[in-house]
Amino acid sequence: MKDKIGIGLGIGLVAAVIVTISFFIQNAGEIELNEILSIGVVLIIIVSTMYILWDRIKNVKKGLPAQDERLKLTNYKACYYGFIASIWSAVGSPLISGILFDYELPGHLVTAAVVLCGGLAFMISYFYLAWKGN
Amino acid sequence: MKTKIKELRARYDMTQEDLARKIGVRRETIHFIEKGNYNPSLKLAHDIAKALQTTIDDLFIFEDI
Repeated sequence: MKDKIGIGLGIGLVAAVIVTISFFIQNAGEIELNEILSIGVVLIIIVSTMYILWDRIKNVKKGLPAQDERLKLTNYKACYYGFIASIWSAVGSPLISGILFDYELPGHLVTAAVVLCGGLAFMISYFYLAWKGN
Repeated sequence: MKTKIKELRARYDMTQEDLARKIGVRRETIHFIEKGNYNPSLKLAHDIAKALQTTIDDLFIFEDI
C-alpha cells in the first residue's frame, strides 16, 4: 500500500510539473537560450522520474517491492550528491557568470541554477549508483 | 566478498526473482549481491541464508585484502 501511495504521489508530481512547464511555454512568448537550456534540464529530470516510476510500477506488478534497502541507500547517496551540487552551483554560478560573461546573475537565475544542478546531479548519480549496484 | 547464492539457488531450482520475492527485495539486488557489487545488511544476509536453508558463514566468503 505504501509503495502504491508513493507511486501515485510521484505520478501526481510529474503531471503537475508537466502542466506548469506547458503553461510557461505557452505564455513565455519568445524563449531565450538560457530558458531553452533550463527547460531541457527540466525535461531530462521529468523523463528520468517517469522511468523510475515505470520501473517501480513494474516491480509492484510482479509482487516485488518498489524500493528495497539497496535502492534506499542509492537514494540517500544520490541525495547527498545532489545537495553538494546545489551548494556548489549556488557559489559557482554567479562566479562563472561574472568571470566568463561579465554578467551579474540575478537572484532568480541563481535559484534556478541551484534547483536544476541539484536535480540533475541527483538523477545522474542515482542512475549511476543503481547501475553499478551501489 | 564472494557468495554461494547462485550455487544454492541452482540446488533449489530457484530463479533470482523467486528468491527476491521470498525475501522481499528487488531482483537486481540479488543480482548485485551475487556479483559481489553490493554488500547486504546483516538482516538481508540472514534472510537470504534462511531462504536458502544455510548459514551466513556458509553463504558468504570473505577474503582478506
